[in-house]
Amino acid sequence: MKYKKIEGLFYLTPVVIIVGVLYSMIIWDIVAAFTGWEGLKATWKFVGFSNFLKLFQMRRFWVNVKNNFIWLFVFIVPTSLLGYVLAYLFMNIKKSERILRQLFLYPMALSFIVTGTLWAWMYDPSSGLINAILKSIGINTSKFGWIANPKGAIYCMIFAAFWQYLGFSLVIYSGAIRGINFDMVEAANIDGAGHLRIMFQIIFPNVGHGTLLTTTMLAITTMKVFDLVWVMTHGGPGIKTEVLPFFMYRITFSQRHIGMGAATSVIILILSGGIIIPYSLWALKKWIS
Amino acid sequence: MKSNTFKFTAIFIIVVLAILWLLPVYAMLTTSLKNQEEVAKQEYIKLPKVPQIQNYIKAFKILKTGLKNSIIISIPATIICVFFGSLAGFYLTMFEFKLSRIVFFWIVVATFLPYQIVLIPITQYLSWLHLLDSYIGLILIYVILNVPMGTLITATFFMKVPSDFQEAASLDGCKSFTFYRRILIPLSLPGLVSSAILVFIQIYNEFLLALALTRGPRVKPVMPVLAELKGTQIAQWHIQMAGAVITSIIPLIIFIILSEYFVSGLMAGYGKE
Repeated sequence: MKYKKIEGLFYLTPVVIIVGVLYSMIIWDIVAAFTGWEGLKATWKFVGFSNFLKLFQMRRFWVNVKNNFIWLFVFIVPTSLLGYVLAYLFMNIKKSERILRQLFLYPMALSFIVTGTLWAWMYDPSSGLINAILKSIGINTSKFGWIANPKGAIYCMIFAAFWQYLGFSLVIYSGAIRGINFDMVEAANIDGAGHLRIMFQIIFPNVGHGTLLTTTMLAITTMKVFDLVWVMTHGGPGIKTEVLPFFMYRITFSQRHIGMGAATSVIILILSGGIIIPYSLWALKKWIS
Repeated sequence: MKSNTFKFTAIFIIVVLAILWLLPVYAMLTTSLKNQEEVAKQEYIKLPKVPQIQNYIKAFKILKTGLKNSIIISIPATIICVFFGSLAGFYLTMFEFKLSRIVFFWIVVATFLPYQIVLIPITQYLSWLHLLDSYIGLILIYVILNVPMGTLITATFFMKVPSDFQEAASLDGCKSFTFYRRILIPLSLPGLVSSAILVFIQIYNEFLLALALTRGPRVKPVMPVLAELKGTQIAQWHIQMAGAVITSIIPLIIFIILSEYFVSGLMAGYGKE
């Protein structure tokens, strides 16, 4: 390439400064996590790991961690699997009919607050859409509390996110399927392989990067869940639907335990770092090639 | 014959699912146009007898300051993100630089980091700068959080520009900024539109920072106001739904008109496909 490096600094500097500020905030978090800061005034008194130890002794904290893992396991597999199956089905129909794809994508443009408002109404036990429909076909709905049901609430919420994110995995898998070599599919077709076999034994192993992408991005999404919880249940019933970002917000802004809030942030950072760093290394490898 | 049956089955499954996926929004729209008695009957699938425009007027009165604030904040933040992002994207794709890889790696990590974890330092930094509860403060924070994504997406689109272009241009004595402005930007316009759409929708839809960094209604963006509406209009489903429709109009219009760009932006940002 012909451009001089020195000239280039002009282009890169703003972003390097901005990203630098972002990382300085993360360092700030890590430092604050080891202080006994409470209340509005900054107190940089170091207390070692005591914030973390306090967190580990709270039952509420572990309920939150468990809920984050429920999100992780229950949200990712159905969303990516149905997204993949849909992408395969769309591949098999005419171009003109692919306009239907938009119907799965539009929820992606909605805010979690809109999704949450909408689904909170859908799930409302006394006047929500779902129970209204069930009642109209003669089903006794008094047992279906949906988000008011302590056991089921979190799964109802995950379903709302599934509704919103299905389009995402559909888009990523459609791109991945378009990139594969179709000779094998043709060959399998001639051999008389069924669609299930083609879908799972022939195409699926070849869209590995699509799977990696979808599951990584969905996993990161589960670490970010906050808005849905806030607007649908506010963590309830009890603390049954609380997740770590929500906990962090509560402990920082309602209880003013800045040190413990920062410690919770560090825990979220560690959990999500385990997902993001391998992905970024992979992205870097693709970038170089 | 067999493949025709399959096509039919495929379309059938897709249509059934699509109806299910549309149902919530259909019910949202019809409910938002009903009066209280009709809502109380819980016949949500039925169309309203007379569309109740006043639901929208009522919801709009509550949301209008928030909407204005969201627009005032999202548009400049998006423009700044895409501008700085495209400069860095240009550098990372067109200049040979040893540290490029390291910079790229940290930009990717920053793109996907859950931003919730920096909420506490954000409030601290802004209170030092006396920018809490101000437009400038929110714009600044949204720029910081979304520049990595702007960079990643624009860089992905710039990579599609053949490097011969740039070599030829530099041989002809074309300055790098002239190349950026006259050749790269016009060639990658669809990419810039894609990244602008994604960044804009992200900022407009954001809730946590909009909630935590504002106090009164003066600069509060629309999403926290919508969440409050849900709290104050309990069981007033028609008003809540009208509010939800009003706040979704902007991103949905963008999505409907520019969905091709939205999809290609998604693929570029997440897939490099």
